[in-house]
Amino acid sequence: MKKIKNFEDVVCPFCGTLCDDLKIILEDNKIIEVDNACAIGTAKFFSSNVSEHRYTKPMMRNNGKLEEVTWDEALNKAAELLANAKRPLSYGWSSTECDAQRKAVELMEICGGVLDNTASVCHGPSLLAIQDVGCPTSTLGEYKNRADLVLFWGSNPVHAHPRHMSRYSDFIRGYFRVDGHLDRTIIVVDPRTTHTAQMADMHIRLNPGEDYELFNAIRALCRGVELDVKEVAGVPIKQIKELVEILKSCKFGVLFFGLGLTMTKGKHRNVDAGISLIRELNEHTKFNLTPMRGHYNVSGANIVFTWSTGYPYSIDFSKDYPRYNPGEFSAVDILKTNDFDVTLIVASDPASNFPKDAVINMLKKPLISVEPHKTPTSEMADIVLPPAIAGIECEGTAYRMDKVPIRMRKVKNAPEDCMADYEIIEKLIEKVKELKGE
Amino acid sequence: MKFFLTTGRSIDQGVALEGQKLGRENVKACAICEFDKDDFAKLDCMIGTPVKVTTNFGEIIVYSQISEQGPHPSIIFIPMGPWANAVVDSETYGTGMPSYKGTEAEVEVVKSGRILTALEIIKSYK
Ligand code: SF4
Repeated sequence: MKKIKNFEDVVCPFCGTLCDDLKIILEDNKIIEVDNACAIGTAKFFSSNVSEHRYTKPMMRNNGKLEEVTWDEALNKAAELLANAKRPLSYGWSSTECDAQRKAVELMEICGGVLDNTASVCHGPSLLAIQDVGCPTSTLGEYKNRADLVLFWGSNPVHAHPRHMSRYSDFIRGYFRVDGHLDRTIIVVDPRTTHTAQMADMHIRLNPGEDYELFNAIRALCRGVELDVKEVAGVPIKQIKELVEILKSCKFGVLFFGLGLTMTKGKHRNVDAGISLIRELNEHTKFNLTPMRGHYNVSGANIVFTWSTGYPYSIDFSKDYPRYNPGEFSAVDILKTNDFDVTLIVASDPASNFPKDAVINMLKKPLISVEPHKTPTSEMADIVLPPAIAGIECEGTAYRMDKVPIRMRKVKNAPEDCMADYEIIEKLIEKVKELKGE
Repeated sequence: MKFFLTTGRSIDQGVALEGQKLGRENVKACAICEFDKDDFAKLDCMIGTPVKVTTNFGEIIVYSQISEQGPHPSIIFIPMGPWANAVVDSETYGTGMPSYKGTEAEVEVVKSGRILTALEIIKSYK
């Protein structure tokens, strides 16, 4: 007889919204139904079922082809590569849980390597800006209950965080926002009329790459400075003035900003200007901000790396103590300068996500991939170590985009002998120590 | 025609991330270039006709599409993935972050030209 199991209040390990209200139905260790999740979250749970897209056994390259091997063979070879490397680069770490991240620090410290997480190509510039000017922030629960003005700048939650608006920022009823959507004003600043912009009360369509100018124009107008131009960043002064009035007169505002700020010209300077605006708006009303973090536990990666080393990403251990320098120790820069001899990629697919010249260099040297699914990175790797999927096949802690830690559940067993990411890294640490005679 | 290239997430791209990276789902979701409606009319081709996007950093052939998220005159959008990353600027200007948004691009309609899968693109780098 088939065994059906129901799980409630399951956490979705995909995006930084980290929804914790999913219902999962399992039939003999196979997920057959996912309720409450968005299309992406649903796809993530179904992708855990064994299929031709998933590795169930470790693989090693032999004569140019990936072939199944035993765990011992794969782990020994991976440990050997890491132990003999002068400067291994380890990257990824945002789509896994905090214990694995903690182990990542230990492994790279022993190897004298470079440790980076996906923040470097995501909200890394936001972290740089926050280090410079601070960050008036709060939790998503507070925003849900209080915010009457929600400003999405360079972020498109309809596509990137599909349930954010229904759970926290727009449609949901809050303690002081009893009419939900009707009780909030939504403003979107974006060069495209995104699906989020199409639902907003106001859309500011600025020229691409001119966010910095627009932030500073708003700051000037907030202070009562008259601007002697007709438009800034392609936005008419009249519309900017209207926006300023809305910003100053709300009861509780929140800025949710995305990669529209961090990936365009100016990068951390854009975020810096945004934070400065929010700080100044607090002279008129209550205003906070929160970066729309992409990977479900990229916040956790930054937090765990910070409490272990002092730094959130782009960390170098070659001098036996941690050094921090994005632009030098960040994965893309290390790859571009060829300043590495092995890569260990965990829970990430840089072959798909990095610009071409970084990928070309990555493929020149030995590559170890800890990854449950077949991706361009894993398929080009020399060793593939397939883990249990965190938050589905093993439990663990993840930090939501507002830095609230949430315990993720295990709902099914991993295929074959697949271990959790942290167990795989723990084994690598043991073996590397042994090889180094420590 | 000259454009401003921006890359980013889309929900279809997100769905294709999960276990579909080597398949057609990923090609359908990410090997596309979205144009503003009026810009697309100037290209004078059918929806889905392959276009070659060329920047200072490379070139890639993708399917053309009219954007549902317009108007956005003179901006083209390619969802993040190996296709977009074949043509973006890897320079991080000391921040660690490549310039994924805001690359100047030239677009031409190509009558023939195969759209590569994700793995074919990455294999061509080896
Ligand atoms: S919004 Fe994000 S966390 Fe919530 S179900 Fe969708 S992918 Fe999962």
